[in-house]
Amino acid sequence: MTPPDNSNGWLLRVRGLTRIYGEPDERSVARTGPRAATNICPETGAIVACADIGFDLYPGEVLGVVGESGSGKSTLVQLLYFDQGASAGEVYFKPIEEGAKNLLALTSQRKRYVRNHLFGMVYQNPRDGLNFSFSAGGNIAEKLIMAGQFHVGKMRDRARGLLSQTEAPAQRMDSTPRTFSGGMQQRVQISKAIANHPPLLFLDEVTSGLDVSVQAKVLDMIRHIQTELGISMIVVSHDLGVIRMLTDRTIVLKHGRIVEAGLTDQILQDPQHAYTQLLVSSLL
Amino acid sequence: MATLLDVRGLEKTFRLHILHGKMIPALSGISFTMEEGEILGLAGRSGSGKSTLMKCLYRTYLPTAGSILFHSRQTGTAIDPAQADEHAVIRLRRFEMTYCAQFLQVIPRVPALDIVAEPMIRRGAVREEALGRAQEAFERMSLPRELWDAYPATFSGGEQQRVNIARAIMARPRFLLLDEPTASLDRNTKDAVIDMILELKQEGTSMMLITHDAHTMSRLACRTLHLSEGRIAEPAYA
Repeated sequence: MTPPDNSNGWLLRVRGLTRIYGEPDERSVARTGPRAATNICPETGAIVACADIGFDLYPGEVLGVVGESGSGKSTLVQLLYFDQGASAGEVYFKPIEEGAKNLLALTSQRKRYVRNHLFGMVYQNPRDGLNFSFSAGGNIAEKLIMAGQFHVGKMRDRARGLLSQTEAPAQRMDSTPRTFSGGMQQRVQISKAIANHPPLLFLDEVTSGLDVSVQAKVLDMIRHIQTELGISMIVVSHDLGVIRMLTDRTIVLKHGRIVEAGLTDQILQDPQHAYTQLLVSSLL
Repeated sequence: MATLLDVRGLEKTFRLHILHGKMIPALSGISFTMEEGEILGLAGRSGSGKSTLMKCLYRTYLPTAGSILFHSRQTGTAIDPAQADEHAVIRLRRFEMTYCAQFLQVIPRVPALDIVAEPMIRRGAVREEALGRAQEAFERMSLPRELWDAYPATFSGGEQQRVNIARAIMARPRFLLLDEPTASLDRNTKDAVIDMILELKQEGTSMMLITHDAHTMSRLACRTLHLSEGRIAEPAYA
């Protein structure tokens, strides 16, 4: 295994990413944010979920996104995964036209291609990422079919290989994830997300709500994926322990804005912004 | 000998917003250079700024003022880890600079051998070879064999410390920052660790060493910098 080569620059470049619910005008951005201590515009009532988010993600790198509930963390990954449309901003991704094309301006058909072939997404709630009317193996096959693979034998082999890493008994491959424990469902969802080796994986609060021993297993699986496949990841979590374990760099969001960005150990040990200091000092 | 590190006027003040902007001065006026291949000891009482200085060099802390120039072999240029682009610092850490903290940062469910093998694998070693070298290190440090494939979360302080130092030494970095590497070890184990550190020095690794143990300091450090209240007290040469 060779270490990820960072010399060729970024994989994903995000600039000015903004999402406003309601009347998007200049006032709503100017009158909200950490300084105003709100993300609801006092004049128009518009909610500024994210404003002017910018960062670069390098190949093989894991970026953490932290912040309290309502800070815009999940909105950010949903915008990048095209789960919702952005109000403004640019997103460039190396595999698409060498990073020259703004993904947000792609046709919906090409967006679907990017989602199915080049991105993986793991949601907090396994029901959002898994189809509970399919079997565990069927869920993985679904992702492979969407990515253009149709060979049934190969799909079953791939599903079996992936599920064996989740410690799911092989004979459960044909059962629906409904019958699995929460931790198992989450690991099946991760298997599905990486089934076709996407270069970029989004993880949104994937261990929240799991008990610690199960959480450790899920984190273990993510770490393995990262070291063995070198997949780049964006990890959203309010749990600084998860961020410390998984990420190289971290951005801190408050009221939809980045208030601080840096190497993860620096953010955790020498936080500069008042909000990050509060967050870190609240750590158990 | 070539210069490895050139630190000029380094200053670090912590500003605690949650305590109404309280300022805590930690370092000021720190200037020194390090030559390639030397072991520089940092001495001084607890709270004198030794670990703060080390963390500034590694970018875990952001210095308030001053400059750090690290002569990178990989890029062939001088990099200031405190100011360089984050990706450049990540590369520096991955390939040249290793920080060995006072305590092992335990990763859940990762066996001791894998913790030591991981940086070797990241730097290009084959897994079997890396595990073999990790075993040799444990053997020399007399870490009980039954612990090798166990999770270090439940290890004693001295056992965790051996895993931690083995991980740093076996990564064979070009520049190694060692914060109290022998503090919880008995005399024989301490000497085994010291021998391994000296072998690493033979291979050309430069090191910065914090220790309160006179024996470790005298066996390892080529010269010592004394810190007192965040300043260099005397440029004493050993």
